Amino acid sequence: MSSTATTRPNGLALFILPSALLFALFFFLPIGLMAVMSVLTGNPVVMPKVAFTTRHYARMIGDPFYFEVIWTTIRIGLVTTLVALLIGYPLAHWMARIKSRSGHALLLMAVLAPMLTGIVVRTFAWMTLLSDKGVINETLISLGLISQPLKLMYTETGIVVGLVHIYVPFMVLTLTGVIGRIDERLEQAAENLGASPLRAFIEVTLPLSLPGILAGSLLVFALAISAYVTPILLGGFQIMTLPILIYQQISANFNVGFAAALGIILLMISLLLVIAYNRALGLVSGQRELQ
Amino acid sequence: MMKALGFLSRRRFLTASASLGIGTIAAPYVARADDPTLRITGWGGKWGEVMKSEIGPAFESEFKCKLQIDSAFPYLPKLQASSRSAPIYDVMHTNSNEQWAAAEMGLVEPKIDAKLVPNLADVYPYAISDKIVGVSIFTSAIGLGMRTDKGYSGVTSWKELWDAKYNGVRGGYVIPVNSLGQAFLMMCGTLFGKGQTDLDAAYMALEKLKPIKIVDFTGAMEKMLLSGEVGMCVIHDSGIYRYDGQNQPTDFISPSEGVLSLEQVLTITPGSKMKELANAYVNYMLRPEVQKRLAETVWYSPANRKVKLDPKYDAKLLTTPEKVSKLIQVDWKWYNERKDEIDQRVNRIFRA
Repeated sequence: MSSTATTRPNGLALFILPSALLFALFFFLPIGLMAVMSVLTGNPVVMPKVAFTTRHYARMIGDPFYFEVIWTTIRIGLVTTLVALLIGYPLAHWMARIKSRSGHALLLMAVLAPMLTGIVVRTFAWMTLLSDKGVINETLISLGLISQPLKLMYTETGIVVGLVHIYVPFMVLTLTGVIGRIDERLEQAAENLGASPLRAFIEVTLPLSLPGILAGSLLVFALAISAYVTPILLGGFQIMTLPILIYQQISANFNVGFAAALGIILLMISLLLVIAYNRALGLVSGQRELQ
Repeated sequence: MMKALGFLSRRRFLTASASLGIGTIAAPYVARADDPTLRITGWGGKWGEVMKSEIGPAFESEFKCKLQIDSAFPYLPKLQASSRSAPIYDVMHTNSNEQWAAAEMGLVEPKIDAKLVPNLADVYPYAISDKIVGVSIFTSAIGLGMRTDKGYSGVTSWKELWDAKYNGVRGGYVIPVNSLGQAFLMMCGTLFGKGQTDLDAAYMALEKLKPIKIVDFTGAMEKMLLSGEVGMCVIHDSGIYRYDGQNQPTDFISPSEGVLSLEQVLTITPGSKMKELANAYVNYMLRPEVQKRLAETVWYSPANRKVKLDPKYDAKLLTTPEKVSKLIQVDWKWYNERKDEIDQRVNRIFRA
C-alpha cells in the first residue's frame, strides 16, 4: 500500500507542472538569455565568432553618467511608491472598512476606472493638463496669475504624477485585501484599553497591514522603475531612466549586449532593494518570518 | 426541414457547413499559397495607406507575388535578431543612418546592381552617391519649421534657431534615436565649427540651444508645431507640406546654408531567397509613375529625374538639379563609428 502511494504521481505536482513550465519558459529563460548576452560580444545564434567579454559592464562602471541614470530611475521608483502608498492607504482602509455594499462598489469602480483606459491614453491626458499649452498653464495665464507657463512637464515631478495615477490602483487593491482581513475587534480592544483611535491604528492596524504595504510597495516600485511610456512622454526625453536607455541601445545603437548588461543591473538593483526593504519591514514589524 | 431534404442528416449538414466556412476563410490563402512572398519594411500613415491600397497591390498583380509589409518600427533590431541565411526581410526601407549601420553589420548589401535595376540610371546622383548604402528612392529636405502667427519673420538662416526669442518654444529631437536630430548635430558642426565632423563645436552649439523641447519622432514635432507648443523647430519639409490646404499657420524655411537630406533608402538583404523579386521591387519603386503617386501623397521629393509632378508639388519639392544641389548629405559611416560617444554626450547635454 505504502509503495503504491510512493510511486503514484503526485496530482498536485502534475497540476502545477504547466504553470511551472510556463514560468520557466517565459521568466527564467529570457532572464538567463539576457545574462548570457550581457557577457558576449554578439549574438551567437546569428554571428559566427562570438567571445566572452566584460566590456559592457566596464563601460557602465567607467562612466558616471550611467550611475546617474540608475539613481534617477531608483529615485523616481521610490518617490512614486511613497506617494502611491500615502494616497492608496487611506483609500484602501476606507474600502476595507466601509459598511455599505453600494459604497464599496462605488469606491471599487472609482479605483478600477482608470485601469480600463490604456497607459498611453492616460499619459496623453496628463500631457494635455501639464504641457505649456495645457489646461493648467492656460487657465493660470488667462486668470493673470502667471505670465510664463509653469514647468510642469519634462520634470521628475511630472513623471511621478503620471506614474502615481497609473499605479495607485495596484497599491489600493493589494492593501484592501490585507486590511479587510484584520479583525476590527483588535482595534476596538485597544480603544477599550484606553488607546486613542490614532494610537490604535498606529499600534494595531498599521503593523498588521505591513504585509500588504510590502506587497503593494514592491509591486508599484517594480512597475515604476520599469516604466517606459510615461517617463518618455512626461519627461520629454530630458529625464533619462534605465528603460529608456535600454530601448535606445536596442532600437538605435543596435547594441544588444550593452542593453542586456543594463537590464541585468536594473534587475540586480531591484532584487537588492527588495531584500533590503523586506528585511527593514520585518524588523520594524517584528515579524521576522516576512524575510 | 431536415426530414424534407431526406438525404441531408444533421451531422452531414453541420460537417458541410463547417467545411464551407473554413473553405471560405482559407480560400484566399490557399489560392495564393504558391505565390512567392516578398518581405519588406515601410512606414505607416499616408505612406502605408497608399502602399496598401494602390502601390502594393499593383506590384503583387504584376509580379504574381505577395507583398508582406512590416511597418512596426524599429526594423533593424528585428533584422539583426534574424538568421543571416534566412533574414526576416528581403528589402529593407529605412533612413540612411540605419542603412549604414545595417551595411556595417553585413545585414544588407551595400550597393544595388544597376544591371538588375534599370531605373537606377535615371536617379539623381545623390541617390546613389558614396554617402548612400543601397538607393535613395525619395528624399526630404531638413530645415526649419515655423509658426506664421507669432510674428516671427525674416528667418533665413539655421542660426536663427539660437535666438533667445525662441526660448520655451524651440523644438528639436532626441539625437540618439532620430535621424533629423543626428543630421542637425552635424549641421551644428558646419555652422559653428570647421565642418560636419567638428563635434566639439556642435556640442557647444547644442548646449546653447537650451531650453529646447525634444521629441523622438517627426510626427510628434508636427503635432507640437500645430498645437503651438513649439514655434520654431528642426523639421523636414514633408512634415509641413503634408498639411497643405488645411490652412495651418505653419511654414517651412530652407535655410541659406543649405538643407539636410533625409533619404528614404532601399537595400536588399544578402541572405534573401527572393533576390530577383527584391530587385524588381526596387526597380518598381523607382518607376516614374510610382514615384509621382507617392511623392504627391506624402510630399517626398522623388529620386527619379524623369518624374513630372503637378505644379503644386513641383513648386515646393526638390525636382530639378538646381534644387537638388542644395541638399547636404551626412557622412553616416563616420557618424555611426562615433555614435556611442556622441549619444553619451548629447544625453548629458539635454538632461533636465
